Amino acid sequence: MNAPGIQSALHPATGSGAALISELTAALFVGGAVLFLLVMGLLVRAVFSQEKRVDARRWVLWGGVVLPVAVLTVLLLYALAVGGALADVNSRGPLRFVLDCISSGARALAAPFGTERPVRIEVTGKQWWWEVRYWGPGTGVTGVPLANELRLPAGQPVELLLESADVIHSFWVPALAGKVDMIPGRVNRLVLRASAPGVHRGQCAEYCGGQHALMALYVVVVPEPEFRAWLQQQARPATAPADPFLALGRDSFMRGECAECHTIRGTSARGARGPDLTHVGSRLSLAAGVLGNHEGTMAGWIAGAQDLKHGNHMPSTREFTGVELRALSAWLSSLE
Amino acid sequence: MARDDDARRREQGKFHALLVATGAIGLVIVGALVGGVVLLSGTVSTAATKQHFLLTHRLLDAGLHFSVRESADDIEAPPLDDPALVGRGLACYDQHCAQCHGAPGVAPGAAALGMLPIPTSLAHSAREWRAEWLYYVTRKGVRMTGMPAWEYRLSDTDLWATVAFLKVLPTLSPADYAARSAGATACGQRETLPSSATEAVGPTLLRQYACHSCHVIEGVVGPETYAGPPLRDWARRAYIAGVLPNTRENLERWIRDPQQVSPGTLMPDLDVPAEHARAMARYLFSHAPPVDAPKGPT
Amino acid sequence: MSRRRAFGAMAASIAAVGCGAVDPPRVPGGNAERGRATIERLECGACHVIPGVRGVRSHVGPPLDHFRQRAYLAGRFANTPEVLVRWLVDPPRMKPDTAMPAVGLTETEARDIAAYLYGLE
Repeated sequence: MNAPGIQSALHPATGSGAALISELTAALFVGGAVLFLLVMGLLVRAVFSQEKRVDARRWVLWGGVVLPVAVLTVLLLYALAVGGALADVNSRGPLRFVLDCISSGARALAAPFGTERPVRIEVTGKQWWWEVRYWGPGTGVTGVPLANELRLPAGQPVELLLESADVIHSFWVPALAGKVDMIPGRVNRLVLRASAPGVHRGQCAEYCGGQHALMALYVVVVPEPEFRAWLQQQARPATAPADPFLALGRDSFMRGECAECHTIRGTSARGARGPDLTHVGSRLSLAAGVLGNHEGTMAGWIAGAQDLKHGNHMPSTREFTGVELRALSAWLSSLE
Repeated sequence: MARDDDARRREQGKFHALLVATGAIGLVIVGALVGGVVLLSGTVSTAATKQHFLLTHRLLDAGLHFSVRESADDIEAPPLDDPALVGRGLACYDQHCAQCHGAPGVAPGAAALGMLPIPTSLAHSAREWRAEWLYYVTRKGVRMTGMPAWEYRLSDTDLWATVAFLKVLPTLSPADYAARSAGATACGQRETLPSSATEAVGPTLLRQYACHSCHVIEGVVGPETYAGPPLRDWARRAYIAGVLPNTRENLERWIRDPQQVSPGTLMPDLDVPAEHARAMARYLFSHAPPVDAPKGPT
Repeated sequence: MSRRRAFGAMAASIAAVGCGAVDPPRVPGGNAERGRATIERLECGACHVIPGVRGVRSHVGPPLDHFRQRAYLAGRFANTPEVLVRWLVDPPRMKPDTAMPAVGLTETEARDIAAYLYGLE
């Protein structure tokens, strides 16, 4: 399921903030290497040269003051431009960001939304999963709730509002952007963008308790029409199952303690402690990036949550017979 | 001069001690090697058709006597002359003991012929052994022989009843035995745990019901057999037989009536009373207790 | 009686553990290495503890160690290659009340998995 590079800062998505950071990294590395070789070359020359007299003041002035000041000034401006480009929703790169700043002055920085209001996504870190709510055209007054996965339109920037419901978490999708902490009581902002479709994996980057290592998510970049269709689908409530086996699954869900923690729009389940499951069948993973998503893993997660993610807030349920468990898995997997 | 002598004597003493120690360790090592070779070569016969050397037999027999005598030391036999008790003992003897030990005029059953050691004629043992010893052997069995333990299958009363009958057995002719056994009532089955049962009765029960003849069970020494799935980390398991949610009550239900839970299962019905099933379930659940989800942020 | 059973079981276990006296059953068309990869890809460990397989593991279903030595499958069926392959492809068809779902294995994938499992001595 996880292709190489799916969670790698060294394989950034094209057109993403991570690509800018990667370019900056490359510039620093190459520049640093050049300077290093230069200095080493001078050192070798100093050791083996026959000349015994050197104009020290000249070397110190030009090599020790002028060169560093010039290099560092260029670097500083470049890094600031990259930082601005990362934060600016409308930006198309550090150079354009600088040009925009020059042409329209401070207004470029003060008008982050530009011509079109981007999709906004509220991501709330919870132990140990990600609560997601989409806001944008077609999401209605309450937004579209989901969990543990993001989908982004290719070529369009998306603004993330990062919060936490309990302890400090950190949102990190290495192939798309740098880390941004999710701090209780604060809202931090992150702009994500990618110009080509792809699947990227992210992980919590701030230790947040026992299952911090198993708090991951997938960010799927899809073409814009597909994104619209997906968001529309996610906004819809679940439909009642026609198949009697699936209906048994739904009845088992309602009969058991699942509805105490989970919401499935379109049913009477309105629990708020755990992820919204209305379209759980459409996600790439279960349990916040721990398992792949099919009927087998779904059953394993329901019956073995404490074994798979020890200490997390979902119990290993002992309520369902074998048939009921299979029906429940089948029904949840059908909620796409 | 004297000091030199002392020193020399001390040196010699140390040398002798070293010699003895080396010799002892060497003997142990050689003994272990020889034992290992004998074991691995497979030359020691396990055939039941080949008889022991007389010395081996005598040693094993004596060992049994001494052990039983020591273990039964603190047992006190109740009065054993009540005819009703004897009658009850006859029923138990006829149902359980005669199949291996035979009875007056009755040959031992097919399972006992060809056994080594042979199940003794109890008409002889009843005369030579004390009631307390007979009770101990019946209750606890004799390991490495065909004599099972009856402690968990017969109540204390039935065990003493059997002993009471054993004491009468040598007086019965074949006709007597045939007549009395014809009218005998059935022998009871123990429903409860023995009064001496401790918290650790779980593994004992699992062995007494032969669970370890099919299952590898944590804390039970037995054959490494995979006829049934291993019973490790039981509390973490979600399902019994793949169909029933794994709770203590369901596990008791499964142990007592497997066919009802999963028709067609290969696990047999062992006629396990409720209290025994409960003790076994409690033991299995005591390993790797499940962790419940925390109630709030941790 | 108990002695005979004890000796029989001892002999079987020594034979199985020590001398390699019994060959693992052949699964025609099954590749054990591919089977292990399939098990990891489909995350069968979400329910089972399977030796030699990386990734998640849980105790929802029985552990699958010493699989070659298991006498029975799902407590009801003889543990032979053909039965195992049929079971993997569609468990509820063989045992309607089982908790193990059909995950859509092809016949080849099932053979590969069976070949891997029979390698678990």
